[in-house]
Amino acid sequence: MERDAIKAAIIRIFDEKFEIVDPSADDNLRDAYEFDSIDAVELLHEIEILLDTQLSQAEKKNAMEIRTINQIVDYIEALAQDRCLAKSSGSEPCLSTMEQ
Amino acid sequence: MTSAGRGRLQPIFDFLITLVVWTYFTAGFVLLFSPFYLWAGIFSKNRERAFQQLNSRFYRGFFFLVRRLMPGHRWHIQPEVRRIRSSVIVCNHRSYLDSILLISLYEKHNTIVKSRLFDIPFFGRMLQWSGYIPSSAEGRFAEMMIQRLERMDAFLADGGNLIVFPEGTRSPNGSLGRFNKGAFKIARRCRAPIEVLFIRNTDRMFRRGVFSFNTRGPNTIRLERIGGIDAAAECATGSLSRVAATVRAMLELKNDGEEEA
Repeated sequence: MERDAIKAAIIRIFDEKFEIVDPSADDNLRDAYEFDSIDAVELLHEIEILLDTQLSQAEKKNAMEIRTINQIVDYIEALAQDRCLAKSSGSEPCLSTMEQ
Repeated sequence: MTSAGRGRLQPIFDFLITLVVWTYFTAGFVLLFSPFYLWAGIFSKNRERAFQQLNSRFYRGFFFLVRRLMPGHRWHIQPEVRRIRSSVIVCNHRSYLDSILLISLYEKHNTIVKSRLFDIPFFGRMLQWSGYIPSSAEGRFAEMMIQRLERMDAFLADGGNLIVFPEGTRSPNGSLGRFNKGAFKIARRCRAPIEVLFIRNTDRMFRRGVFSFNTRGPNTIRLERIGGIDAAAECATGSLSRVAATVRAMLELKNDGEEEA
């Protein structure tokens, strides 16, 4: 899944789960949309479904500092990359491991 | 004694009774409850559950004392309020007494607490060990918040109640303040019903900015259930904002009726 596809998936989740329609990529979600830590916990659950993986407590904790859609996309890309590397042991290029 | 004489002495009575009540909170806690907390802290398999139960009983003792020492205040708590289980309870907020009154009614409870209170020595640790949820997820509270919210589904399914004051702070004048949507989000996430309670006149007993209790009365403190909402079903057909607006309308209707009366 490319960055654009991740972004599209996140935009869809925001619409369906948080009633936030088409948020700007760099808006501070808390200030602009009252996206709070309770929402963040729900978003983490959605990310687990998206990546078909369990996030560690440390990974979840790091996510609580995220404020924008772009940062969420960066976070998911990094998670996907980590999991891909863990599976392939770095011997192959990492492609998508996400559910599409 | 004449009523004028009683009036002059009333602040002294108020002060003395307040001291007795606060003595229960301090010495009473140490002498009567701390051994049980210590036992629960060391040996209990479910420390949070045990601490919640002890908190509830400690506050029940507080209200037992308050009723005896301040007979001018009458208490009307609807029986159906006490029967609520597995729900997110939302209530208007008039006084510091509101939260401890609700905690005293439910042995299996949780609540959202201002994060700064977790920093108070000893008391903050008690809040943490009781499994209460910090109001923000900044810094060290992030992990605590995540863990507690993730366990909330099971807690509610197992008969626990989550007590939330959506205004987040006490009303300065009786009118309803702006709502935080946290309670509604949790109810939707956990597919738990929302029970709407209305509390009145606790602020007449323990007034904002005044050290002493108003011990005299006459006053009637009422706690009643004014409605319930199936948050999951409502959110499936409408929006979270609509659920919040519905709860607000219920509380405002009751609040306006009270002011007119």
